[in-house]
Amino acid sequence: MSAITLAMLLTTAAAAPVDFDTDVLPILTKAGCNAASCHGSAAGRGGFKLSLFAGDPAADHTAIVHQLEGRRVNYVHPKSSLLIAKPTWQLDHEGGLRFDFDSPESETLAQWIAEGATRRRLRRLVRLEIEPEELVLAGPGEQVQVNVTAVFDDGSRRAVGHRAVYSPDDSSAVEADGQGALVVRRRGRHVVVVRYLSEVSTVQVTVPLSDEPVDLDSAARSNWIDDEVLAMLKTLRLAPSPPADDATLLRRLRLDLTGRLPTPGEVAEYTADRRADKYARLVDRLLDGDEFVDYWTFRFAALLRLRGGDPPAAHAFHGWIREQIKSNAPLDQMARTLLLAEGDTHEVGPANFYRAAGDARAQAEYTSEVLLGVRLRCANCHNHPLDRWTQDDYHGLAAIFARMERSRIVRLGPRGEVTNPRTGEAAVPRIPGDKYLEADGDGRDDLADWLTQGDNPYFAKAMVNRLWKAMLGRGLIEPTDDLRQTNPATHPRLLARLAEDFVAHGANLRHTLRTIALSATYQRSAVATSAAAADDRFYSHALTKPLEAEVLADAIADVTGIAEKFGEQPKGTRAVTLVDPATPSAALDVLGRCSRQETCETSPGGSGGLTTRLHLMNGALLNARIASDEGRLRQQLAAGRTSDEVVRGFYIRALGRQPRDEEAKYWKTQLAAPSEGERRRRLEDFLWSLLSCQEFTTNH
Amino acid sequence: MRTNPLIQRCDGVSRRDFVRVGGLTALGLGLTDLLRLRVASAKINTAASRASRCILIWLDGGPTHLETFDLKPDAPAEVRGPFQPIATNLAGVQISELMPHTAKVLDRLAIIRSMTSPLGEHNFGAHYLLTGYKPTPVLEYPSIGSVVAHLRGAASVLPPHVAVPQFRVGGGRLAGNGFLSEASRPFSVGGDPAKPDFRVRDLDFYPGIDDERIDRRQTFLSALDGFQREVETSDAAPSDPGFQQAYRLISSREAKQAFDLRDESPATRQRYGPRTVGQSCLLARRLIERGVPFVTVNNPGWDTHTNAYTRLKEGYTGAKVPVGLIPSLDQALAAMVGDLDDRGLLDETLIVVMGEFGRTPKLNVDGGRDHWPRVFSVALAGGGVPGGQVIGASDATGEGPAERPVTPSDLAASIYTLLGLDPHQTLETPDGRPVHLSRDGRPLPELVG
Repeated sequence: MSAITLAMLLTTAAAAPVDFDTDVLPILTKAGCNAASCHGSAAGRGGFKLSLFAGDPAADHTAIVHQLEGRRVNYVHPKSSLLIAKPTWQLDHEGGLRFDFDSPESETLAQWIAEGATRRRLRRLVRLEIEPEELVLAGPGEQVQVNVTAVFDDGSRRAVGHRAVYSPDDSSAVEADGQGALVVRRRGRHVVVVRYLSEVSTVQVTVPLSDEPVDLDSAARSNWIDDEVLAMLKTLRLAPSPPADDATLLRRLRLDLTGRLPTPGEVAEYTADRRADKYARLVDRLLDGDEFVDYWTFRFAALLRLRGGDPPAAHAFHGWIREQIKSNAPLDQMARTLLLAEGDTHEVGPANFYRAAGDARAQAEYTSEVLLGVRLRCANCHNHPLDRWTQDDYHGLAAIFARMERSRIVRLGPRGEVTNPRTGEAAVPRIPGDKYLEADGDGRDDLADWLTQGDNPYFAKAMVNRLWKAMLGRGLIEPTDDLRQTNPATHPRLLARLAEDFVAHGANLRHTLRTIALSATYQRSAVATSAAAADDRFYSHALTKPLEAEVLADAIADVTGIAEKFGEQPKGTRAVTLVDPATPSAALDVLGRCSRQETCETSPGGSGGLTTRLHLMNGALLNARIASDEGRLRQQLAAGRTSDEVVRGFYIRALGRQPRDEEAKYWKTQLAAPSEGERRRRLEDFLWSLLSCQEFTTNH
Repeated sequence: MRTNPLIQRCDGVSRRDFVRVGGLTALGLGLTDLLRLRVASAKINTAASRASRCILIWLDGGPTHLETFDLKPDAPAEVRGPFQPIATNLAGVQISELMPHTAKVLDRLAIIRSMTSPLGEHNFGAHYLLTGYKPTPVLEYPSIGSVVAHLRGAASVLPPHVAVPQFRVGGGRLAGNGFLSEASRPFSVGGDPAKPDFRVRDLDFYPGIDDERIDRRQTFLSALDGFQREVETSDAAPSDPGFQQAYRLISSREAKQAFDLRDESPATRQRYGPRTVGQSCLLARRLIERGVPFVTVNNPGWDTHTNAYTRLKEGYTGAKVPVGLIPSLDQALAAMVGDLDDRGLLDETLIVVMGEFGRTPKLNVDGGRDHWPRVFSVALAGGGVPGGQVIGASDATGEGPAERPVTPSDLAASIYTLLGLDPHQTLETPDGRPVHLSRDGRPLPELVG
């Protein structure tokens, strides 16, 4: 009785008319009605289809009011409407009870129907304000309240915490009660996605990893990167590791900038160098060299998914990329050239940008992933459930590419369109999330202008995030092609500063790499302090990176002195200089290369594990090289080197350092053999283990 | 890693001890001794559940439910498709005419006809079915097989999770072990078990290498990784477990024999059928017999968007004897059920047949069916599953579940329970996060009793 009285009071009190878009739809979203597993699925559910998370209010209004001969709403007895009877389980409902018959939700829906079930469009949501957006708690178990305010275009503001949907990225770490109260169960940094209508935002909650504050005053600090990284370490109470030693740092930088191991001469020279600025000199020397150009051409070819199907075209594309890297072309200019390229793909390298994808839609996905670092593909069939992207964005971007003719000759054709499945009509060209373009113009100019203007929200961030990952082993945002509001950076301010600095310096690849290399963060040892052993994203110590298949294959060839044979390529060709990623190579098959059919930025599954180990033990990759007469080991034995000299030589080549005393002693004992044949076998076994050990197969 | 009390053996031997014992094989403790140890230790599991091992026949690409276990003879032609139902040895239950062998052992099978999932993309669907969890960007979950491998451990030198012929599933993005260590990653034997010269790749010594040298290399490698660890005060880097596992495998003659199908009689080989899926199932049986807790038989090709008639039935156009996907699976599945039964192993071996989703109710213009996760079928046998039952039902056109919807996480929880593992027990991610084997799955009473 009292419940009914209360409901009546509420109804009377709510004199304001109910708005479909901003009152009714949030109820359906909160109750899960329009989720992908229910009526929001592409095919609907039980004959009733809603747009995913209310992305298309007009369609939802039609579905509710006009479909099924209007039986979903009953103007005479509003509470007998199917719209209310089903979710309150007055009638059988596969989805069960979503809210009570006497609930405020049910009353609001009834009032809306009683008022005529119209779509008044009284107000439009402008943005969500979340307070606080970021907070640091003392320890696990603490509860906090987050306030969510919706701001509408009529100037009104409403607290919508009870209507918003809360999704922690890790539900074992954060519990959300659905009203904005959060309880954090585990230490660390966690993200909760808050959704209200079409807007999504995030709350970032940190519980320090230790109860003891850490002293960072004495921590090494070289530039502003360190300020940001150390600030986070301080919040998290993680102690950073000391700087790496000279030999380690030389090997690390050499591999990151050139994909090669340092030569014995370099190791000797660098470790003996007493100048205070020797590290900065090393950075500059490596950035200026041809080996940098080779390696970063390889990295950009992988990013752009250069494949070898049409060899002359692949060579033209590869040659063009190499020219850009060599001349240090601004990366935004590179992007512009790619977008605007036309011509014979055997001559005009960048025109191959339009042959990397099969059609306009695939081109839209490829372009968004490669140049914007965002994944538009969800928005092909429905508005992106986790981001702002709509079907209009996806098909609008595809429409910009619809006229491209993508055979050997790439050019803008006279016609071409893509159908937007939402409207059933030709999609209007559109810069995603920004603006519509003229239907019959060439939208690529506008797209290139937008992409390369300094305040573009995606391009610079996507690029610096990748460069950061190349150097530090983990993107500030992971995966690196999945930038979105609901996937925030581990260090948002650092990412923003890197992007600003990148833009301010003319999208200069070498400048950003140099800045990162010179930070104390990059130069830290990979040996973690005991408290920070589990840290894999806050840079308290350097992350150990497995060598890429191509780099490892080249390193094995360099150490053993036996080059890999790559298909028909001339002897001595290096894996990182291959144009075609599918060039026949047993070594690359074993070590697991990326075919570039899809992005190479997420680690592929496939081989590896026990299979690879078995091959390294019993296959030809290492065994044939170790025992070859042409190989470095046999040559050294033929030249009469002692076992100690051989060991030292291979340590320098493979690990970039001298053996420590205990190591030298160990090998002396192990390699003392009764016969020359036995000594050779033991040295081969030594070399095998050196090429298999973790210190060799990783960059650390 | 912490010792989990649940993986303590009845004789007090922990998993860690077993791993160590496994390493001793080269020194004379043979596979048979290990098997004896394992049989002793398996008794405690028997008390909790009948099944101690599992063979998963993974139908990669998304198998059609409408041409296998859930025919709709009364539906319109474009739903019904080209094949007729036939009676089985279970009164009132029909399956496809392409599955006559399976029809004769249907009293041993439990078929779920009301599986339902929202994920219609290969990688996503495969992740959901194989792990029991929907995919999320923050964590890659381990497949059921790798969880079983991780918790049961290697009972012999053979890897605890073997994939035959390989683990390229659902588009190839899944490594299988998710956040678990590489030791539980499925070991792909490679090659084609149906070929006469089938050998596991790289299991035999390279010329000039012998036991002594392999041993020495292993010693040297441990020393090198050990030197590095002494420098790193952190205790996070164990000596490369992948190499240790490979080393144990290479050094064991019994292990090599386990993979040798020439050991089987011609009659047995014929029973399973000459195709890859059949001989893969036979190899799976050999491995299960030798104590491997989980084998994934990967049967690709079920993504039949086009030309389904030929691909499902004939195999190639104009085939005199049908060798398509369904007849090949039919022979293999029925042979495996019968063979395990003959050997008295069926009760302790759970067989699961599934793929990432079903196919669209209506045939498309290319004579195929597209992805359809809303309802599909899964079959189970052995391992204490009460046979001869059909669980749930799809609606008249095979479009959605008509009754008893079963989610992939319910299925995962059921499989764990059947294998004697509590779905609520937790695993630990590398950063210390506890993860339940199954978070919200409810084991099906029809399966687990």
